[in-house]
Amino acid sequence: MHHAVESISPSSLTSRKILIVDDDRLNRRILAAILEPEGFQVTEADSGEMALELYPQITPDLVLLDVVLPGINGFDACRQLHLRYGPATAPVIFITSKSESDDVVAGLASGGIDYLPKPIRAKEALARIRTHLQIRLLMAEQRLLVDQLSKANADKNRFLGMAAHDLRNPLASIRGLAEFLRDGVVGPLSTDQLDLVKTIHGASQEMLLLVNELLDVATIEAGELKIAPESSDVVELVEKAVYLSNIEASKKQTRIVFSAGEKPVRCTLDPHKIRQVVNNLLSNAVKYSPPGSTINVELGAAAAAFTIAVRDQGPGIPESERHKLFKDFGRTSVMPTGGEKSTGLGLAICRKIIDAHHGTITAENLPERGCVFLVTLPI
Amino acid sequence: MPFTGKILLIDDEAHVRKFLGLVVRGLGSPVTLEATNGEEALRMYAAESPDLVLLDVNMPMMNGLQILAAILQQDPKAQVVMLTSLANRQTIEDCLKIGAVGYIRKDTPKEAILAELTAYISDEPKPADPPAS
Repeated sequence: MHHAVESISPSSLTSRKILIVDDDRLNRRILAAILEPEGFQVTEADSGEMALELYPQITPDLVLLDVVLPGINGFDACRQLHLRYGPATAPVIFITSKSESDDVVAGLASGGIDYLPKPIRAKEALARIRTHLQIRLLMAEQRLLVDQLSKANADKNRFLGMAAHDLRNPLASIRGLAEFLRDGVVGPLSTDQLDLVKTIHGASQEMLLLVNELLDVATIEAGELKIAPESSDVVELVEKAVYLSNIEASKKQTRIVFSAGEKPVRCTLDPHKIRQVVNNLLSNAVKYSPPGSTINVELGAAAAAFTIAVRDQGPGIPESERHKLFKDFGRTSVMPTGGEKSTGLGLAICRKIIDAHHGTITAENLPERGCVFLVTLPI
Repeated sequence: MPFTGKILLIDDEAHVRKFLGLVVRGLGSPVTLEATNGEEALRMYAAESPDLVLLDVNMPMMNGLQILAAILQQDPKAQVVMLTSLANRQTIEDCLKIGAVGYIRKDTPKEAILAELTAYISDEPKPADPPAS
C-alpha cells in the first residue's frame, strides 16, 4: 500500500494558521511580526470571548493565548476550547509575564501545552511553535495511518471470510465427488484414471483445510471468535473426535487410543471449539507420526481443571523452533510423514480458542520419541 | 437391513445434491428426491412424505429456517437434518429449537456424514442435540 507520508520540514509548516489572543494591540503586533515573515497565517483576537467566536471559523492549528484578559481569562478560554473541541483542540501556548510563573502550572492544568514568557524572544517563540505544530501534524498523520490500516485489515478479514465461505462448498463437493470416483462407487477406473482422481482428491482436500483455517484466522482476527459455553460431557466430546479421526488415521495404519480415566468430566466450555482443538491435535499427531504409529489420548481430572493429553510417536519439536509452534504461519522444519500439507495455522487457532477459555496449551518432547500436547482447561 | 426409504435433498447447489446423493447410497438403496428451492421442497414433501430430509440452511428465497418451519407444519414428525457450510451457530440453534433433528457441516468427510445419517434412520429414539441455552 502506497501512502504518501508528508515529510515534516519547517517549510511544510508555513501557511499554518495561528490565532493570537491578547488584549494589548502592541503585543499582538509584535507576535504577528515574528510569525508572518515565516509564512504563518495570523488571526488576532482581543479577548477570550472573541477567541472562542473566531476559533470555529478559522480552525487554527495553534493558539497563542495571553493569561490576563479583560473578560474570561486565558485559562478559562483554554478550558472552554477543550470542552468544545475535545482532544482535537489545537495546541494552546500561554503567554505569561515573568511574575506569573506560578500560573504556569495552573495554565498547563487547564489544557495548555506550553508557555512563552514575556518579553517574547523571537527565536524561542518560533522554535516552540514549530515543535508543537510538528507534533500535531505527526499525530494527525499517525491517526490517519492507523485508521487506514485498521480499515484495510478489516477489509482483508472480510474478504478472506467471504472468499473462504464461497470456496468451501464447491471444494467440499469436488473432494467428495472425487472420493466416490476413486472408490469405484460409479464404476471401475483404469490405473491412470485412478491416479488422476486421487490427485484431484488430494489437492481439493488440502485446499479445503487451508480455506477452513484461513476462515478461522479471519474470524478470530476480526474479533469474532465467540465462545458459547455450555455444560458439556468432555469424555463424550473427545471420544467422538477420536472415533472420527481414526477414520483418517487408519489410512496410515495409525491407531488413536483413548483412555478416559475414572470419572466422567462435565464442564462448561464451547463444545464445538474444543472439539476443533482436539481434532487439530489428533490430525497433527497422525500427520507427524510414522505410519503404523499409536497415538494416545488421555483425560486427566484435577481439583479445578482437567487436561487432555495427546501423545504422538513423531520426531518431536526441535528446541530451536519451539517458539514458532503456536504462532500464525509458524511452520517448523518437521515434515508430515505421509506427504500431508500444513498451513501453519492450526495450532495458532488452537491457542486462541484455549486462551478464550482461560486455559493453557503446551507441547513437550517425550524422553524417547514423540511429543505430548497438553490442554488444560478450568472446570 | 439396507435402508430403502425416501430421502429428500434440498439444496440450491447441484454439486452438493450430487455429492449427498452419492453419500446416501451408502445407507442402502434409498429413493432420492431432490429439490432446489423451498417451494419445490414443500410440494415434494407433501407428495412423497420422505423418511428423512436434508435441508441446506443457506438458500435463496425461502431460507432453510423458513422451509424447516413449513415442513414441520405439514408434518410435525418430519425428520429434518440441517446442512450448513458456515458455522452459523445462531441459525443452527434456531433450527434445532423449532424441531430439526440435527445438523451436518457440508465439508464433513463422507464417512462421518454417513455415520450421522445412519443414526437418524435407525429405529432408536432420534439423537437430537439439545440446543444450547
